[in-house]
Amino acid sequence: MAGPEGQSDHVVFEQVGLAFGRRPVFSGLNLAFPRQKITVVMGESGAGKSTLLRMIGGLQRPDRGEVRVAGESLADLDETALGRVRRRLGMLFQNGALLDSMTVFENIALPLREHTEQSEEEIRRMVHQRLRDVGLGDVDDLLPGELSGGMLRRAAFARSIVMAPEILLCDEPFSGLDPPNVSRIEALIVHLNRNLGLTVIVSSHHMASSLRMADQLCLMRAGAAISGTPAGLASSQDSTIANFMGEDGVSYLAGLQDQPSAGDPS
Amino acid sequence: MKAVVGGLGRWVTESIAGLGEMTIFAGRIVRALWVPPARGALIRSALFDSGVLSLALVCASGLTVGFVLGLQLYNTLSRFGAEESLGTAVGLSLIRELGPVLTGLLVAGRAGSATTAEIGAMKATEQLDGLRMMAIDPVHFVVMPRAVALTLVMPLLSAVFVLCGIGGAYLIGVELLGLDSGSYLANLENAIQFREDVLQSLVKSLVFGLLLAWIATWRGFSCAPHAAGVSRATTSTVVTASVCILLADYALTALWAV
Repeated sequence: MAGPEGQSDHVVFEQVGLAFGRRPVFSGLNLAFPRQKITVVMGESGAGKSTLLRMIGGLQRPDRGEVRVAGESLADLDETALGRVRRRLGMLFQNGALLDSMTVFENIALPLREHTEQSEEEIRRMVHQRLRDVGLGDVDDLLPGELSGGMLRRAAFARSIVMAPEILLCDEPFSGLDPPNVSRIEALIVHLNRNLGLTVIVSSHHMASSLRMADQLCLMRAGAAISGTPAGLASSQDSTIANFMGEDGVSYLAGLQDQPSAGDPS
Repeated sequence: MKAVVGGLGRWVTESIAGLGEMTIFAGRIVRALWVPPARGALIRSALFDSGVLSLALVCASGLTVGFVLGLQLYNTLSRFGAEESLGTAVGLSLIRELGPVLTGLLVAGRAGSATTAEIGAMKATEQLDGLRMMAIDPVHFVVMPRAVALTLVMPLLSAVFVLCGIGGAYLIGVELLGLDSGSYLANLENAIQFREDVLQSLVKSLVFGLLLAWIATWRGFSCAPHAAGVSRATTSTVVTASVCILLADYALTALWAV
């Protein structure tokens, strides 16, 4: 479990409980996501990874407990106030969530047109820069329905970062991508984090990429979470970690044991 | 017995809660009308989808209803030697009742269901959540333009339906059955009063448009976020809106007569 909230924690879950009908998802979840770090949330399907990201975005309210983003509790915020918080967030949804009726260019330009005073020329430049970042070219006039699954996810990724958010939430960013594009998106996430200082929270099943880029790992299981640095988790004797990571993951983590660790599993 | 009473109580409670949520939703749409930006391009696009794309259906239906009215009323009136009154009978029945009501039912089936399905599909594919995460209010960006369009197109389409109906009855009565053209048009013109007939027709169709806009957008916005949920919401829109239009028609006719 996460320790007490520190100055460096950008997102904090405190005693969060949530159930869908009679099925509990979280029961007293305590978790902290450090500022300007990459945290990868892992867990079996249905463990609540996507729900966790939706709670950070205020799309899902907890039944009890509190979620704080940049020190601000989301509990009492109405939609207007939540909008203020959400302007500091970028979110990549699992299925892209691009607007069907708009072209790729219009989709990515939308938040810029809504929230900035930039000229059309500046918007065009910015959108094309983001499209290049994710390895897409010449897709301006295509509708989302005309893109392949991988292209759709990359276009959605471009939209999630176009407003230069403080916190980037990525729900399964590597699913449906071919290996070169997995590497490209992984490199882009690391670049956004290391060079622009974004706090990145990624939910992923993609073990290799997750372990490569994570500053902190968070394993979701039975409504609770085990979190720590990869090296810290490697030294843990918790069988849950070994069970979930499998042989490859454990070997990878074992290789990290010699590296300096910022903290143990908490 | 206890279970029946319990079930009834739950149904009543849920219905009242649902009505409350619908009312709050209507308030959000009305508020969105005054919040900048005005969403002119989105409203124009929704007007095209709800209005222009419904035009062929409304014209064809109006013309067909006009054909039937022309035949039926001509045969009935000719029994009393009053076939000259065909223009009056067709005009009054179309303008006061058939125009607004049938247009309301047709638009509910075409544009109302399409609106629910579109908003529902956007919800199921997280597009509405995507807008929220970009700090864009989906009621302002998605719902309000479609609600405005559905409300505005109803009186216009109703007027088109009435014109097509009158034209259809003219073709049957005058061109096919040999009624005098001048007599048909003169009787029609003399019988129609602006306040009693035309204004009543416009008010009715505007109210039907408001009801349909409210129901169609709410059903889409509140549907379960999966294919079956969208399908159920779409069916529910057509059924609920049709019943509401018929009930509202009776209420408005009764009120107008007072």
